[in-house]
Amino acid sequence: MTRRQIDWTIATLLGVAIAASLSASGVPGWIRYLGQLSTATALTSAGVMILLRAGLLSFGQGLFYFVGGYAVALTTKLAAITDAFVVLLVATISAGLVAVILGSFLARYRGIFFSMLTLAVSMVVFGIATKVRLFGGSDGLNIGLMSYAGYRPRGADAQWSGFVFCIWVWAAFSIATHILLRSRFGWLIRAVADNEVRVEYLGYSVKQIVWVAYTLAGMLGGAGGALAGLSARHVDPQFAYWTTAGDFIFVVLLSGQASILSPAFGAFLLEVLRSYASALFPDQWQSVFGAMMLAIVLFLPVGLDRLVTLLWSMTRKAVSRRSRSLAGGVVS
Amino acid sequence: MSTLSAVVVDAASFAAWLFLVAVGLTLVFGVLRLLNIAHGAFYSVGAYAAVYAIGASVTLGWATWIQLVAALAAAVAIGAVIGLLTERCILGRLYGYPEPLVLIATYALFLILDDATKLVSGGGSLYAAQPRDSLGQIGIGGLQYPVYDVALIGVSMMLAAIVWFVLNRTRVGRCVTAVVFDSEISAAMGIHVGRIKTATFMVGAALGCLAGALTAPKIAVSPGMGVEVIVIAFAVVVVGGLGSIPGALLGAAIIGLARALTAHLLPELEIFAVYLVMAGVLAVRPFGLLAPAQARRI
Repeated sequence: MTRRQIDWTIATLLGVAIAASLSASGVPGWIRYLGQLSTATALTSAGVMILLRAGLLSFGQGLFYFVGGYAVALTTKLAAITDAFVVLLVATISAGLVAVILGSFLARYRGIFFSMLTLAVSMVVFGIATKVRLFGGSDGLNIGLMSYAGYRPRGADAQWSGFVFCIWVWAAFSIATHILLRSRFGWLIRAVADNEVRVEYLGYSVKQIVWVAYTLAGMLGGAGGALAGLSARHVDPQFAYWTTAGDFIFVVLLSGQASILSPAFGAFLLEVLRSYASALFPDQWQSVFGAMMLAIVLFLPVGLDRLVTLLWSMTRKAVSRRSRSLAGGVVS
Repeated sequence: MSTLSAVVVDAASFAAWLFLVAVGLTLVFGVLRLLNIAHGAFYSVGAYAAVYAIGASVTLGWATWIQLVAALAAAVAIGAVIGLLTERCILGRLYGYPEPLVLIATYALFLILDDATKLVSGGGSLYAAQPRDSLGQIGIGGLQYPVYDVALIGVSMMLAAIVWFVLNRTRVGRCVTAVVFDSEISAAMGIHVGRIKTATFMVGAALGCLAGALTAPKIAVSPGMGVEVIVIAFAVVVVGGLGSIPGALLGAAIIGLARALTAHLLPELEIFAVYLVMAGVLAVRPFGLLAPAQARRI
């Protein structure tokens, strides 16, 4: 096993990013916009996925989405910085800081305590945000056009560059997260869900693992919120509302948790579903959404990606049997 | 002096409301071991049921007490029916599932029920203040309070007494206590655990609707009112200890007092009072004040 194998997840991420950038000017605008929104949802949902791998269901991922979005809006408004790379960095770091502070308290809790405390925190922030004038009250804030390291596109070019920026940020963050999840730390997260006491007997601090995972989820949420703010060019307190966090949970529930690709797939599906359902049933979106969630929990609780993983490991086993070598059946 | 009596009355009145919304949640958690996010939706369903029942009784020209009885009966009946359907068709299939999945299922239920109330009501605010207005005011310590609000304190205490009596002095109640303690042993002793769980969920849902119905005359009934309720009810239940009825009473009393004190002395802190108390208690006793310590699973 000395030969380095290709990591298919990274290859797929790069392939999708390259294909999307090349075809960006060819596809209709609405598909491009759906894709752009999906990158924001995908990164934020990846945070939910990481925590769910540790057995923790966060109802507070909307909080980091909110922090990321407002970090972008406030830096462009107050500091007059319009560089997309800088505001993305500011958003990710501020969400990370918020997560570090909250995590010091929340990392002690598991199960429903974790879920409800994350929910309570984000609802408090939602309540404050609707009243603070700096945040624009319940109307939110608008975000101007971005520049990209000196390049200032306008009109159709601005839409194109916004899309390419979102796609590559998504790819870069996903690859970084994938490498982290592939590492020993990534496996420790799963071990926490399995049996905390054993992890502690192995010499690791469960609280630290959860804290780091929570911070990581926060940073991903912040980056996702920044992308959402840049795409919609508007942020409002609804970002921190619990149904926004429910969307991210839905994404992970729908797609499963097998790989960093899963939330991307789920996020795209969610955006497509949302745009069709809001056209077909404008007033019943919430019940359609709830009914789909219930159906998944009842009939396919492992998520759609298990089917893909199963097929993938079957083909790989067939290939490796032919080449008479050992192959791992797990795709991560 | 008048501040003191105002704090006491406000605390008692808020604590009574907190106990009403929390008792069903903690009962269901104790027996079924699931945190029912849909409890907030039951609350708003109950409130809507009360609004329509009171509206109908007012048009028929019935007396105030009949209006109230009609509202409560409608809410309890709807709650029991929804509870039965939910437990039989959905939650009953999920026992033994990982905790996050069950939580997601109750969240999905919340969304569906919340949307259903929007669909029925048309989305605007509704009012059912007639019974509260016609009961008039009462003077306590120099301040005027609606009789209805003061009477709610009595209703809440009566409910606590009934729940305590049923759980501790009746055969069914003892079976429920046994299931809370250990459902496998209870099943071995011949208790029909499945039936107890269904019945408990029905009672829990009916209590959630009852809380909404009792609150409806005091507020503008509008969609989305259940969200805040579920978070606050969870705070109450957690402070006292999940699954414990005396715990819910204690949690309601503490949080009610904290909120009344901040409302009169530090108004800017009022919206955080609930969360500050919860965070403070959880930092000292992670499982709540009245919950027994739990052994770690190896």
